[in-house]
Amino acid sequence: MNGRLLAAILIVAGVAVGLFGSTYVLTVGISAAIFATVATAFNMVYGYTGLLCLGQVAFLGIGAYGSAVLSKDYGLSFWLSAPAGAALASLFGLLIGYSSLRLSRHSFGIATLTASLLCVILARNWVEVTRGSMGLPGLPAPHLGSLSIEHPRDFFWLAFAFAIISIAIMAAVLSSRIGRGFLAVKGNEALARTQGLNTLGYKLLSLAISAFFTGLGGALLVTHLTIVDPSIFDFYYTETLLIMVVIGGLGHFWAVILSAVAFTVIPDLLLFSKDLRMILYGFVLIAAVLSFPKGIAGLARQRAVDGWRKRLAAQARQAAPATSGGSSHG
Amino acid sequence: MDTAFALQLLVNGLMIGAVYALIASGLSLTFGVIGIVNFAHGELYMVFAMLAYFVAGYLETPFSLSIALVMLTALCVGAVLYEVLLRRLAGKDFERSVLGTMGLAMVLQNGAIFLFTTTPRMVPHTLSYSAYTFGSVAVPALKLLAAALATAALGLVWWMLHHTQLGRAMRGLAQSHDAAMMVGIDVRAVSRLAVAIGVGLAGLAGAALAPVYSIHPTMGFAFIFKAFAIVTIGGLGNFGGTIIAALMIGMLESFAGTLGSLVMADTLSFAFMILILLFKPEGLFGRGVRI
Amino acid sequence: MKSLIAFAFAAALSGVLPLHAARAQDNAPIMIASTLPLSGNVASFGEMARWGAELAVAQVNAAGGIRGRKVQFDVQDNRCNPAEAVKVTTQMLSDPAYVALFDGLCSSVVLSVMPVVERERIPLVVATASATSISDKSGVGGNPWTFKFNPSDATLAVAMVDWLKKQGLADKIAFLGEDTDFGRSGASGFETALKAGGGKLAAADFYQQGTADFSAVLTKLRSMQPSVLALYALAGDQRNIVSQFMTSGLKMPLTGRLITDVIPAEIIKSGAIDGSTSVQPYSFEIDTPENKAFVAAFKAAHGREPNAIAYSAYDAMRTLLDAIARAPSVDRTAVRDALKATRMQSLIGGEIVFDENNLAHNYAVILQIKDGKVSIVGLSKT
Repeated sequence: MNGRLLAAILIVAGVAVGLFGSTYVLTVGISAAIFATVATAFNMVYGYTGLLCLGQVAFLGIGAYGSAVLSKDYGLSFWLSAPAGAALASLFGLLIGYSSLRLSRHSFGIATLTASLLCVILARNWVEVTRGSMGLPGLPAPHLGSLSIEHPRDFFWLAFAFAIISIAIMAAVLSSRIGRGFLAVKGNEALARTQGLNTLGYKLLSLAISAFFTGLGGALLVTHLTIVDPSIFDFYYTETLLIMVVIGGLGHFWAVILSAVAFTVIPDLLLFSKDLRMILYGFVLIAAVLSFPKGIAGLARQRAVDGWRKRLAAQARQAAPATSGGSSHG
Repeated sequence: MDTAFALQLLVNGLMIGAVYALIASGLSLTFGVIGIVNFAHGELYMVFAMLAYFVAGYLETPFSLSIALVMLTALCVGAVLYEVLLRRLAGKDFERSVLGTMGLAMVLQNGAIFLFTTTPRMVPHTLSYSAYTFGSVAVPALKLLAAALATAALGLVWWMLHHTQLGRAMRGLAQSHDAAMMVGIDVRAVSRLAVAIGVGLAGLAGAALAPVYSIHPTMGFAFIFKAFAIVTIGGLGNFGGTIIAALMIGMLESFAGTLGSLVMADTLSFAFMILILLFKPEGLFGRGVRI
Repeated sequence: MKSLIAFAFAAALSGVLPLHAARAQDNAPIMIASTLPLSGNVASFGEMARWGAELAVAQVNAAGGIRGRKVQFDVQDNRCNPAEAVKVTTQMLSDPAYVALFDGLCSSVVLSVMPVVERERIPLVVATASATSISDKSGVGGNPWTFKFNPSDATLAVAMVDWLKKQGLADKIAFLGEDTDFGRSGASGFETALKAGGGKLAAADFYQQGTADFSAVLTKLRSMQPSVLALYALAGDQRNIVSQFMTSGLKMPLTGRLITDVIPAEIIKSGAIDGSTSVQPYSFEIDTPENKAFVAAFKAAHGREPNAIAYSAYDAMRTLLDAIARAPSVDRTAVRDALKATRMQSLIGGEIVFDENNLAHNYAVILQIKDGKVSIVGLSKT
């Protein structure tokens, strides 16, 4: 898959949306930009490092609440409060990661899931800070000079820029030595360790970066909505992120971004109810796990490989009579 | 705190613990034998409670018969579930089994909402609002019945695991998949039976609790996370450990909920789990023995 | 993969192109947009709200519509989630044919779409969402487009406490509610009303929605012996609490927002919770000819009596349709100004006039269970 071409297409599509999109298209575009980033962050920790973190929604919510409280109660501007919320999410990621990653993968999955449940309880009951279940309405819009970024078009450009920068940073990390470290941890942890790789360090780094960008996405999302309430920790987001990454293909950078965009756009085009949609998602998840565990991108790659094999074999067969006795490994 | 009050808290804790044990032990058994954490276990409990509701409503069977009917169905559903889904996920990487069972949970929960809406239901029973009182300690009649059934069922499974050929096969399978195959254990048949029993226990829970707690499509969601905490505390796949951990969490919730608040009870059981993960990652009773 | 790209692109483009041709013909329907939870935990309430609003629209259409034009009511699902609601609402409102937005059911949903209606300059009529902050932010509070028909949870709680005080039952009230905006604002309403007389709640407990076992908190109440227990619990949770209350040896009367059709009929009939009271925005037994006609029509359509949500949606929709009929033209600003000038009678006899915060002050209904039967013991202005 040609990453550069896809990136160019997505950027052109984004610019088209930003220039010509109606208010509705812009709103969908904002969600798509945020979820493409958050899904990429999840792909980094699950697809590349092999850690099934079921607490991504906790990072999303902590980033959101952190930013909301800092901007509303402490008057911090969005440009400071959002990274601060994201840093808090990252720190939280390190905490759960450090406590559970030393153990088995089962413990990690369950611990991250439980952490996100604890976050809901905290958001609902730490009333002094979170205002409990009423949430924090009326979050201030970000300001750029004298421009208040409120209108969907302005906000879309912000979200779009955020997505491009975050995705570029994650792409850079993943293609660097660090990214290869992540893959080594996923591929064969024991082997990686014998090679002198600090596997726990790599896992924690992956989790921390992922949590940071997820938290940033959460901060952006609630600033757009102007309200944060405990439904930011909705389990539904965890399920949706899983669908995006699994269907796109674990560890396939651009495919996951495309599937995140598709899964943000398609539901609005499907006319049937959300219950039916979630039933369908469930079946899709089961089918994906049973028949194409590497996602659509994995399936496409497998097809391509099979195609080469066949062609090579055919060439070899054609060549065989001419070169008598020559060995032909297809 | 006077004795009667303390006794009441103890009884409450035992009742909650018995319910948790019934649900969590099925999860633990499935994990022990085939190595899969079944995320759909809570939803299965919900489905069987719904089934109990319809059996009681349409067939008008007596309570005892509908428990038996639902449990029998649950055993069959478990066997089918193993053949259709879990067998294909077992032995593969852990993450795939999480995704597969989570997909199943999404189908069951949203399917139930789609078919039956979120309107709560309850199975009526003549003893619904009766309680036995011993001194000033009140014990709800149907909860006592559910706890007794749970004790009997868990005792039976315990006995089966430790005193029958089949149970020994299950424990062998839990200890080492390859070794079990080498000594000629029919892995597929034994695993199928283990899953069937695990799901059967969820069926018993659903049917026995149908007149106690209201029935609605998201009822499994609240239980499954508690069950995860319990299984983690007891040691993943450790059957006896799970039962003891369930009773401990029941006690914790009873005491914390009465002396503190309900929110504190919820928070403490999750916090307890995280503490165990931090300091005793193999669970309180370890994974060595398993089942 | 190629088809995916094409699909994403097509989807992006389809929104770029103007889908909605002008629909300003004279016979085109008058369009009202709404989002309600049609899936998820509170879907059953969303359905009730939808039925109530649809009934009001159907009746107006059966009578010939407004100025010869039919009214069209479009509802989409918001799953009670603000993010979802903002997306869906923005989508609907991008069609200029919509003249008003109706409700949202969940308070967080309404609070999150309030900036959207301000931006799109379209009136929003809140029928069932109950947070006090909605009207605090409306009218002189800043948002001139939002109108709230139903009383907030806090004002209902005040009405209840005032009644309990008169009966001498307000000296030791314990509170048990869900940890959502419904339960929390109920508790703060009780606190505020009690503080006026120098009192306070004897205890306040909150539980997570979907909690099955309440034995711990009920045991605590047994040792505390409050004079009355206030419940702010919905549907299955309330049913759970009341039936476990029966087996826990507790004897005090209940109050708060008891929903009498959720409590199993045999418990009410048994007389075990005699003396219990409830405050509601509505009861289907209110004896006005208008209400009787509404109950009959609702029952004919759905086979059951309307609850408070169905009522509020119906009556709020009537208020909105009345405003549209009175507005000099079917246009968003004209409809808003007509809403502001509303002066009509609610089905239950309250006078609907929007105050400076665009909040109406309909009646609150106090119900009491006596001799195994539910009866209305008072109406009080909120």
